Amino acid sequence: MTDILRSWIGGALPDWLIVLIAYLLVTLIVLFYAVGNFIMMVWAERRVIARMQDRLGPNRVGPAGLLQPIADAVKMFTKEDIVPRNADRWVHLLAPIVALAPVAMMLAVVPWGRGWEPIDLNVALLYIVAVSAVSGVGLMMAGWGSNNKFALLGAMRAVAQLVSYEIPAVTALLTVVVLAGGMSLLDLPYMQAGVPIMGATILCGDPAGCSPLLYSTVTSFPGSPNEPVQALDLGLGWWVFTPVGFLGFLVFFIAALAEGERTPFDIPEADSEIVAGYMTEYSGMKFATFYIAQYILNFALSALAATAFLGGWQGPGVAALANMGGPWVHVAAALSAFYLLAKIWILFFVMIWLRGAFPRLRVDQLMDFAWKLLLPLALVNIVSASLMVGLTQWTSAQWGGLVNLDGFAPWQRQLIAVLVTAIINIAAAYWILAINQRPREAEWDEEELVIAP
Amino acid sequence: MNTLITVLFLIFAAIILASAIMTVTVKNIVHAALWLISSFFGVGALYLLMEAEFLGVAQVLIYVGAVSILILFAIMLTRDLEGSQNRQLTPRWWIALIVPAALFSLLIVPTVMTHAWQLPPPPPAGQPPAISGAQQIGAAFMREYLLPFEVAAILLTVAMIGAIVVAFEERERRRRVLTLAEQVRLRQRQQQRQQPAPRPEPAATAVQPSEATGSET
Repeated sequence: MTDILRSWIGGALPDWLIVLIAYLLVTLIVLFYAVGNFIMMVWAERRVIARMQDRLGPNRVGPAGLLQPIADAVKMFTKEDIVPRNADRWVHLLAPIVALAPVAMMLAVVPWGRGWEPIDLNVALLYIVAVSAVSGVGLMMAGWGSNNKFALLGAMRAVAQLVSYEIPAVTALLTVVVLAGGMSLLDLPYMQAGVPIMGATILCGDPAGCSPLLYSTVTSFPGSPNEPVQALDLGLGWWVFTPVGFLGFLVFFIAALAEGERTPFDIPEADSEIVAGYMTEYSGMKFATFYIAQYILNFALSALAATAFLGGWQGPGVAALANMGGPWVHVAAALSAFYLLAKIWILFFVMIWLRGAFPRLRVDQLMDFAWKLLLPLALVNIVSASLMVGLTQWTSAQWGGLVNLDGFAPWQRQLIAVLVTAIINIAAAYWILAINQRPREAEWDEEELVIAP
Repeated sequence: MNTLITVLFLIFAAIILASAIMTVTVKNIVHAALWLISSFFGVGALYLLMEAEFLGVAQVLIYVGAVSILILFAIMLTRDLEGSQNRQLTPRWWIALIVPAALFSLLIVPTVMTHAWQLPPPPPAGQPPAISGAQQIGAAFMREYLLPFEVAAILLTVAMIGAIVVAFEERERRRRVLTLAEQVRLRQRQQQRQQPAPRPEPAATAVQPSEATGSET
């Protein structure tokens, strides 16, 4: 973007201004992209959940009710902005902004397509975790500033949930860091090229005879980092197809549901218990800001899950188109952006589906689920991920002569790693589930129990 | 670019100082915590300005995401917010200003005066900068500074165990809150125990009052 602008108006403006304008433009594009998706998501959620509940949903405004979100937006704009008399006026005002801003900041590091990446941050994964933690402050401000017990209860629940589900989420993302050997999000889709399960390890034997439609140059893949090779690339070497990636994806997606306050975990805004949680005292645009923040958070978390485990923009045909060169590179970029969007929407559909299927958890169930099931699974998964990296990349000298896989071809090493980690992960999952399903020991003798007066 | 960075640095420094001053002078303790958060953000931005991305992000993650949320939790869970009525300044505030300022300058002035400042530092030839990324920090923790790292880890573990010990209640003193169904079942069982030979009809009627009282509580 900077280069395009430079070529257009290079001489007229100082360089730093061009850089600034370029970043501003990119920011605007990304924000409009997210808000457009938000509008569609609101509509889709209402229609899909209505279909699941055997209702019609909004179907009057526009074709199939498509313009309903716009009508809602107009309503939100024109609503009266009510601030409770005893509220802390400034905190009450700032809370929705503090809740929305970090969520919008998360969008900055996601690679939206092949070559379409707003910012190359080398600590992108940590950055996303860090800024998503900030939105907890906004919720806390909303709960406290409203001067309302329901709002405070909701904020407490929200932040407790955020803080405790951050740990499984981060631990699941750590497997990605171990696999990728770095925290940049931009490299992740490139690393997930190849074919399912095997990744980009099926090499081209004869460089002249390999069609550029099927084989592409892969620089970094497990087995030979930094050494470009020709590998069979269908754009399907997503990590979710390996045992490590699958378990990591499950844990991360469930934790993302909790962070995005989606239904099995929508305890902070349980309407039937505490009205609407921290949003109780908000109306008009401030309420809409919270609403946008939530949907964009779900959007960003889906994008993150897709990028980290489902290959991001990687998909069949992207590498082939990019290899054809010339204007086809832009077609490849558009196709890759479409793939990422499709993955995000499939994940979002699963979120709606879960909302239609599951009742709300209790607080103690929520905590038990995070600490007794998700966290141990994620920890085991890190061990598996390390083994995977070791089995596919390390030389026997690095293993200290313990394991010698130097003579094997990359696909053989990959197969060994997949089998070993599959055994570990399945055994661990089975064991942890069995522990959790064991009936709880009678911790309390019947005689000791006293009925409260 | 250098002037731009200087301007940004001045802006961030002003934000940090202003929020830090607000933190200690504002009367409402929750507001103080919020100003503290803004100050943390400024420090994170300074790290980013120095291109220490990992440190900047870690600053936001640890201080804003964890420490200040804990502070907010602690403030909101304690009942007494009456601190806002208290005076912030004692009559002898000027002594309290002078003494720490003198001590601090005792520390900082010799360092500032004697240190050979080289701005910007000359880049070491053929070497990556000392702390730029997560990998260098990780390597430093695992190799050069393994002992301090382990000591810190043990210290944190001890603190965690200590927190559990403090928060742990003796089993006899713990009281679990029974659900309504459990209360009803308990009452039934107690009544059955009191009547050693329960006939079927009175037992059925005896359930009902207990259910009524159970739903009252």
